[in-house]
Amino acid sequence: MQVQSNNFIRASEIAVNNSEQRNAVVTGTGTAYQKRLAAMFATSKEHGEAMRQQAAAAKRRALNKLPDLPDLLEQAEAKMQENGIQVLWAIDNAEANQHVLDIAQEHNVQSVVKSKSMVTEEIGLNHVMEKHGIEVVETDLGEYILQLNDEPPSHIVTPVIHKSKNSIRTIFTDKIEMPHTDDAKEMAQYARGKLREAFLAADMGISGGNFIIAETGTVCLVTNEGNARMVTSLPRVHVAVVGIEKLVETVEDYATLTQVLPRSATGQTLTVYTHMVNGPRRAHENDGPDHVYVILVDNGRSRIYGTDYAESLACIRCGACLNACPVYQSTGGHAYGWVYPGPIGAVVTPLLVGPENAKPLPHASSLCGTCKQVCPVDIDIPRMLLDLRSDLVDQGKSEAQWTIGIKAWAWANRSPNRFALSGKMAALGSRLIPTKNLPGPLSGWTKHRDFPEFAPKPFRELWKERKRSGN
Amino acid sequence: MSSREKILSTLRAAPRPFADMALAPESYLPMVPLEDLSPSTLVERFVVEAEKLAAVVHQTASPSAAIETILEILDGDQSIISWDAETISLPNVMDTLAAAGVRIAEADDPSVRVGLSGATAALAATGSLVLASDTGQYRNASLLPPVHIAIVTTSQIMPDFESWIAEQRANQLERFRRSSNIVLISGPSKTADIAMELILGMHGPGELHVVLVEDNDFDFRIAMSSE
Repeated sequence: MQVQSNNFIRASEIAVNNSEQRNAVVTGTGTAYQKRLAAMFATSKEHGEAMRQQAAAAKRRALNKLPDLPDLLEQAEAKMQENGIQVLWAIDNAEANQHVLDIAQEHNVQSVVKSKSMVTEEIGLNHVMEKHGIEVVETDLGEYILQLNDEPPSHIVTPVIHKSKNSIRTIFTDKIEMPHTDDAKEMAQYARGKLREAFLAADMGISGGNFIIAETGTVCLVTNEGNARMVTSLPRVHVAVVGIEKLVETVEDYATLTQVLPRSATGQTLTVYTHMVNGPRRAHENDGPDHVYVILVDNGRSRIYGTDYAESLACIRCGACLNACPVYQSTGGHAYGWVYPGPIGAVVTPLLVGPENAKPLPHASSLCGTCKQVCPVDIDIPRMLLDLRSDLVDQGKSEAQWTIGIKAWAWANRSPNRFALSGKMAALGSRLIPTKNLPGPLSGWTKHRDFPEFAPKPFRELWKERKRSGN
Repeated sequence: MSSREKILSTLRAAPRPFADMALAPESYLPMVPLEDLSPSTLVERFVVEAEKLAAVVHQTASPSAAIETILEILDGDQSIISWDAETISLPNVMDTLAAAGVRIAEADDPSVRVGLSGATAALAATGSLVLASDTGQYRNASLLPPVHIAIVTTSQIMPDFESWIAEQRANQLERFRRSSNIVLISGPSKTADIAMELILGMHGPGELHVVLVEDNDFDFRIAMSSE
């Protein structure tokens, strides 16, 4: 998918004025936020917090402790092979897509059904498959709606959160000849019929993977609709495309994480279907695919591993930070300009596509800290956003107004006299110039809010006076 | 150098993150702590949790009552997709259904309305069923038809997913790895993708009936194997 993250400021201005989208996103994220609270702390505040730390430790152990991530990858590969899964490695987009194409060609695949997968969005798989004449049908209802409308997802769990029922109805009547209805259930039933045909005709199923259990070689998925069960059961070939950071060490770690994930994402105790794929149909079984492939995708992750941003690899993609973020709630996901929006997106996008291609994103946060607080694996997103901002300045890649502003601030604070002077100047300046419609680089601030007047006397002056008067 | 080697060598060359992490705990905190693990409490909890998820639980006192319930849900349907008789913990279910004129359809027959399965286990804390694929236990029975009936005996109800995992650990995960596919089913298929409206039966069954057969005093599976 093409990266348009440098366009964030303009895109978010358009997004916040789209009231239909904004209402949908505010309602959707608000509901999910409340449900998450109830589910995570169903037993008690302390128990929920302890579960969160248990989940956080499970993911971090998988990255660090012996066996560490490279060891776990090798162990998972060996165990998956024992299970009859063919394991392929992809260093980037192009190689991952080529693997899928090769598999499709080897098995003479004409049509593919897919269940929701963010990593396949990341590598832009659908367009590559279609370019080679292979039909790909997204089967998660939300993803199907977006595919019909040629739009990317705007949320990592609820991809069509930005659309109202009316917009969805219009897409269905325009693109798949649905008879007019105002009933969401009838819309879903109509889509179900279309998608059932696709399932029964498909030669290959493509899924992502929420976790891979290294000790058993198991690919784990969570879905509510049942489409991922069909994708992994009905076609004769199943391909799972999974990021290398999805490994967990043991079945016990998995048991914690696969329960914390839905509680954080949608407030469910478990998703309707929590499944574990151990490979192709066994000789003693009656159904299931004949071939299962797992493609382990790096695409920049190994580069993050040794840095201060390694924590971002612990993310389990629950979307809780999106639902809790005041910026995401106002802009929706598309403004972020790539696959992963919201606070975690503002961290992983610069890391995966290069900071120069996502300069505004580390600034797309008020640093209120809610994202860290709601994260089921306790990722310190605000800390990483600050570090990314500082990297941008260090590398001279920051936007001009930030660099000028920060340099001016640094100059003013380098000596006590300059600091004192700058306080006086600010107090005076904010009275002399208008508080609306500031010129030049300051216009970004006053376009949406008034510039506040500084206090007439700086704190330093007041303090001096106080000391002088002996109070 | 292959991509595999490139990825592994990049990771190995990097400093390890989270150097201060503790080792895995000796015992894990369960997601849903249960205080009373007596069989009757587990049954009660299972029923409450499954019904919260919009599953319909039919508590039946005898095998014949269970079969009667299945026939009521079938409501005159003459064909079902089903697990093989010997994999379902309910004696004579297939014979009785056959006597009532119900035939077993092909596992991928799209015209069938009802699928019938047993279960590997059931989980009280979350109201879930565990279905681990095995001989004669067709995945489609719990997936393709709009109605899924699962026959569960009360002795199959375990406290939670953690205890099922502990049972797998106890036999070195051999049973776990023998199934190509294991699924926890927690309620009927659902979606909220259209403006957060809850809709049941998106792709999988929209109706989930759990026919719960009392066997804590009497093990039907032993009775079956001695027949």
